[in-house]
Amino acid sequence: MRPGYDARMTVLTRNRLSGWTFQYGIKPCAIASCFVLVALLWTFPLQHVIAYPFVFLFFAAVMGSAWFGGFIAGFLAVAMSSVLITYFFIPPLFSITVAKESQSFLAAFILSAIAITIVSSARKHAESAVRNARDQLEAKVQERTAELLRSNLEIQASERQLRMLTEAIPQQIWRADAFGRVEYCNQHLLEYTGGSADSLQGESFFNILHAEDSPSLSKGWEAALAAGGKFEAEARVQRADGVYRWFLIRGIPQRSQDGQIARWYGIHIDIEERHHTQERILSAHEDLSRFSRAISLAEMAASIAHELNQPLTALVSHAAACRRWLRTEPTNVSRAAAAADKVVQEVARAGNVVTRVRSLFGKTDYVRELTDLNGLIVDLVQLLRDDAIRRGVSIRLQLGEDLPKLEIDPVQIQQVLLNLSINGMEAMTEIEGPRILEICTKALGTEGVAASVTDCGAGFSERVKASMFEPFVSTKSEGTGMGLAICRSIVEAHNGRIWAERTERGTVFQFVLKVSK
Amino acid sequence: MRRANGSAIETVFVVDDDSAICAGLCDLLESAGLVARHFSSAEEFLGKWNPGMAGCLVLDVRLPGINGMELHSNLLISQITLPVIIMTGHGDMPMVRKALKAGAVEFLIKPFQDEELLQAVEQAYTLDRAQRQAGDLVNSIQARAETLTAREREVMAFVTAGLTNKEIAEELCLCVVTIKLHRGQVMRKMQARSLADLVKMSERINPHRGSCAVGSA
Repeated sequence: MRPGYDARMTVLTRNRLSGWTFQYGIKPCAIASCFVLVALLWTFPLQHVIAYPFVFLFFAAVMGSAWFGGFIAGFLAVAMSSVLITYFFIPPLFSITVAKESQSFLAAFILSAIAITIVSSARKHAESAVRNARDQLEAKVQERTAELLRSNLEIQASERQLRMLTEAIPQQIWRADAFGRVEYCNQHLLEYTGGSADSLQGESFFNILHAEDSPSLSKGWEAALAAGGKFEAEARVQRADGVYRWFLIRGIPQRSQDGQIARWYGIHIDIEERHHTQERILSAHEDLSRFSRAISLAEMAASIAHELNQPLTALVSHAAACRRWLRTEPTNVSRAAAAADKVVQEVARAGNVVTRVRSLFGKTDYVRELTDLNGLIVDLVQLLRDDAIRRGVSIRLQLGEDLPKLEIDPVQIQQVLLNLSINGMEAMTEIEGPRILEICTKALGTEGVAASVTDCGAGFSERVKASMFEPFVSTKSEGTGMGLAICRSIVEAHNGRIWAERTERGTVFQFVLKVSK
Repeated sequence: MRRANGSAIETVFVVDDDSAICAGLCDLLESAGLVARHFSSAEEFLGKWNPGMAGCLVLDVRLPGINGMELHSNLLISQITLPVIIMTGHGDMPMVRKALKAGAVEFLIKPFQDEELLQAVEQAYTLDRAQRQAGDLVNSIQARAETLTAREREVMAFVTAGLTNKEIAEELCLCVVTIKLHRGQVMRKMQARSLADLVKMSERINPHRGSCAVGSA
């Protein structure tokens, strides 16, 4: 062991020892001595006024010592008092001996004094314990209060940070209650819509959406509210200056501890650019497919034309030769007959070409399925939605109820409806005012089912009307002229018929399909 | 049957790989009183070709091997002046323009009317005859020019270049009388009626060389 450590230990022990000595030696001795001395000094003068004053005064001294100095001081005071009383006041005076008759008195005094000491010091002890407990409690309360204050400040700071964060995110954010009523919108959302926070609250929130997107979004929102799941939709939101931009709207429910939805958080992400890009890609894709279709059609047409041209050229030549052989003087009948034979031969060859071409196109599988025409149209509208938005066309459906199911090739009939719809939309590119494409179905009883596609475009002339269903007839600059021809061949393959009519509003393409027995 | 200059028989040479078309066209041409021969490929035609052939060529664009347009340009390179009529099943404008620019008489798009073909053939025959006559004339002038002596040829070159007898005499270091004699011989041998006639003949046999440059020959 090192000497320093040893020394330190000694000092510590000494300090502790001296403290202990003070607490249980010097301090009680001093207190007891003081009280007893005061009692003694007061007893002498009072002795002449009242009988046995020392009894009260020494009791008081013992009580005081016990109260202020504890057990030890109390007992010391009892001892000192006993000695002093014996010496000064109990006969024989000035001697520590006690007369026989006074012994019981002294014993009673000592016992009483001891009892007072015990009671007084116990009382004192209890009191100081209570005070201690109170002090501790108070300290604890203060500590808790400070803690609470601190956590309150922390919460406020984090709330402030969160709000700053929501304002700093360059997106539009809202919060709604459990029933989907918007309670809070961040500054970006307010700035974008140009309205006040009140104008976006509750149901009025839907007013900032495009009229066409509002119903589907509201339906989706209600479904999400009912299911308690995530919500996501794309819709056009009106900017303060009236311009609509595309947004991705997302809502996420926040659940409380019992699993109930407490509130909803929503974000609006501007996807206008993305939408444009998508549209451009779509339109490029469409152009490409139209282009490749046109190319393959052109190639096919060229090869068919060549195939047919060869026999036609030969037969035209033979026919002309035949006429010339008959006109020469004298007529050369044998050469004319030979030429006529050749004509017949070449006609047969041309016919073969036509048959071959037809068999080439006739390779599609024969499909007939019981199909709900209305369902087909609803699916089709989904397909057309983007195209319609891009062209600024609204599609209206007027679907007849109690439509019988039809035995058709659903893909082909959908192709017919698609061709007619796209034709209709293209016919309206030039017009001002609302562009409305109406698709209707109607049950015709025993006759079958009628479907029509109506546009409010420029329509067609009588001259076009006669040939519009013929192949390679097109009024469009990029048209292949096959669209309506394909429609007609499909409808006729279903034993139906298709025709077009001019109305006051535009053009109606209508077809009727028979109900299978 | 018409003959050009009494030698070659004017014939329409039809080149098409489709035998039915060949037969049809030949039938038509024969019914119009023309002579027609057909070939199924460009190679077959070139194999049978000889300079004595007269008439015209009816060519399909789409042929196996050498196609119609290539055959046409090959003929031009080999200075075969047989007029060409091009026919095709799908006439696109650039091809028509190219063919006509290269000197085709006509561009027919199948199927065509008999009159269209016959008119084109008539036009081609006229052109062929004119070219043939021009060719014959050059040949006879050439034959006459070959009878000239070396000195006479020199004198003729200077005369057609516009020099006077005196100038020629100085140029050749001969006396004027000798030049006059040579000049008379040239006019006689070349059967030229005048100086202008002689100049024209000289231009025909030397079409690329200007008459001014003859002196250096």
